[in-house]
Amino acid sequence: MRAMIIDDSRAMRSILRRIVTGLHFETSEAEHGQAALDQMRAGVVPDVCLVDWNMPVMDGYTFITEVRSNPEWRDVTLMMVTTESEQRQIVRALAAGAHEYVIKPFTPDAIVDKLSLLGLVPAGGVRAGDGVTA
Amino acid sequence: MNLLTFLDGASSGPSSGVEAPDLEDLRSVTEDVWMALVGEADPLLPRAVPAGAPFDAAGAWSAATTITGGWRGVVTVELDEQVARHLTAEMLAIGSADDVTDGDLADAVGELVNMVGGNVKSLMPGPSVLSLPAVAAGRAAFTHDVQVACRLDLAWRGAPVRVSVHVPHPSPTDPHTGGSR
Repeated sequence: MRAMIIDDSRAMRSILRRIVTGLHFETSEAEHGQAALDQMRAGVVPDVCLVDWNMPVMDGYTFITEVRSNPEWRDVTLMMVTTESEQRQIVRALAAGAHEYVIKPFTPDAIVDKLSLLGLVPAGGVRAGDGVTA
Repeated sequence: MNLLTFLDGASSGPSSGVEAPDLEDLRSVTEDVWMALVGEADPLLPRAVPAGAPFDAAGAWSAATTITGGWRGVVTVELDEQVARHLTAEMLAIGSADDVTDGDLADAVGELVNMVGGNVKSLMPGPSVLSLPAVAAGRAAFTHDVQVACRLDLAWRGAPVRVSVHVPHPSPTDPHTGGSR
């Protein structure tokens, strides 16, 4: 499994990277939506993207609409990981094609649970307490 | 993330008549974010500071994010430099706080204010938009067109941490600031 972590904060990318590598994902990273699209167009197409909302250059919402407009990327799972917690924004992201939504701050278990719900972590797989820490 | 020096200006005391988050809600948000980033072993503790007293760290890092829309305000975080270094080292999994660079600090402190600000936004009327964070090495000071509405003084490992919410001064012509209510 490959995960792409898209967040303008290197610190947040580091936290998310530690969680998903603990689940044995391979990871790639991008600091905004445009950089992530550039990677995907160059052939780095992940199984799941963990996407922040508020980023410079291209925000997470625009990134999701761009990914969903490309049929070649229909199998890419999109999970928003953001401080945006207004119901209106959550509905908007899900309507645009996000599969799951995690609000910051989060625990490692919250990420693991969402990835499990998406079928990306084997049932009864690695738990945060088994060595995945933020 | 921007590195900038905030404009000089004096903070005023708590406002009245302007909608602002409840202090306990701000404390809850801040503690939740802090625990998610650095764990529960070393919690933030309350710290008594006289009203209007400046942030008293010898060295500090500051960050701000602006909320505009259904509610308008600025959320700021000020950290003692050693606190900022430890927070950054924890977030980036850097073994020693002494190895943290200024770029690392700006990134981590910016993400801290982004998370606190985003959760403050959720407490207030919307829809609103959260700005990208602005980060400064040093203490934050603010223009005279905002006032402190809510201030939380805390300590982490004995060093000061301050989270503040600033709102525009009430204006009789601006419905967002509640001046006409």
